[in-house]
Amino acid sequence: MYTRRTVKAELGEIYDVELEADLLQANRNIAEENEELLRKHGVTAIDVMGSTGSGKTTLIEGLVERLKERYRVTVFDGDLTTTIDSDLIAMHGVEVVQINTGRGCHLDANLVRKALQSIDFKGVDILLIENVGNLICPADFPLGSEKRIVVISVTEGPYTVVKHPFMFIDADVVVINKMDLAEAMGVDVQKLEEDVHTVNPGARVVRTNCRSGLGLEEVVKALGL
Amino acid sequence: MHEFSMTERLIEAVLHEAEKRGAKRVVEVRLSIGKLMFLGLEQVKFAYATLVRGTILEGSKLMIEEEKGIVRCEACGYEGGIQYVDDPAYHISFPTLRCPRCGDIVSIVAGRECMVRGVKLVV
Repeated sequence: MYTRRTVKAELGEIYDVELEADLLQANRNIAEENEELLRKHGVTAIDVMGSTGSGKTTLIEGLVERLKERYRVTVFDGDLTTTIDSDLIAMHGVEVVQINTGRGCHLDANLVRKALQSIDFKGVDILLIENVGNLICPADFPLGSEKRIVVISVTEGPYTVVKHPFMFIDADVVVINKMDLAEAMGVDVQKLEEDVHTVNPGARVVRTNCRSGLGLEEVVKALGL
Repeated sequence: MHEFSMTERLIEAVLHEAEKRGAKRVVEVRLSIGKLMFLGLEQVKFAYATLVRGTILEGSKLMIEEEKGIVRCEACGYEGGIQYVDDPAYHISFPTLRCPRCGDIVSIVAGRECMVRGVKLVV
């Protein structure tokens, strides 16, 4: 026989409750589910992030051209309201899903999950996910990808890496684009590369001119593809 | 950058807990924000003051604790605060993933979370 005791709080009493509620857990959970789903179907998902106008879409166009002979490539394109980027990529003959965030400044795992539900996995080896142009917010919202490319360009000036170090912390490959304009911009590309390696010694840096194709073979190799 | 949406999530989480316990008022909320997250503390406080109006959180105190960025090195076992490097060219410090002990690459084990640690409720 036992006595069960009940202690009741009196009206007006203060309860001190310990929680451990992670406000970003929801996105992290979905990102992990995405990752699991992609792995199960043998899909290699690669984030493509970078500032607005750095050359993300042009890079993707170049990668698609070089990968589509050997792999089945699909692209997710994140942007606010237009289909400008996905229209450009679709011209290369690959499936593209445009994810419009409305006014959101980054993709999140939930939006990527919705896009995943609209494609046939059996037909995909590589999934390239172009994020909204932004060097800040996407860093806090993992999507479930296996690798990450961050694209910057010399026209953004010499301080891009030191001003946004946390974007480079998770990068596997960093592309420094628009090399044809480096001299005109007076940007020390060697210093930019060193900045990347100071923040993230493991990132591979590739200098490119995505419009002409310079450096794109190296990007493919850097991705291990 | 996402102070308002994060604060909305915070208030939802607190209201959920308050509802579970039939609380009439929230007196205090304890939040810890990782140092490596992109959230401005001033903006979070401002967002909080704005968004709690008309809810049972109105008048409550928001206590924010900053959580340090901690890294761990698999190669040598080092675990400690994320290191910053001084750049003489730009007169700034920025973070590095290089292990201060062995130079290998570390991984971040803390400092990227936004957690509600606790609440004080009036029943």
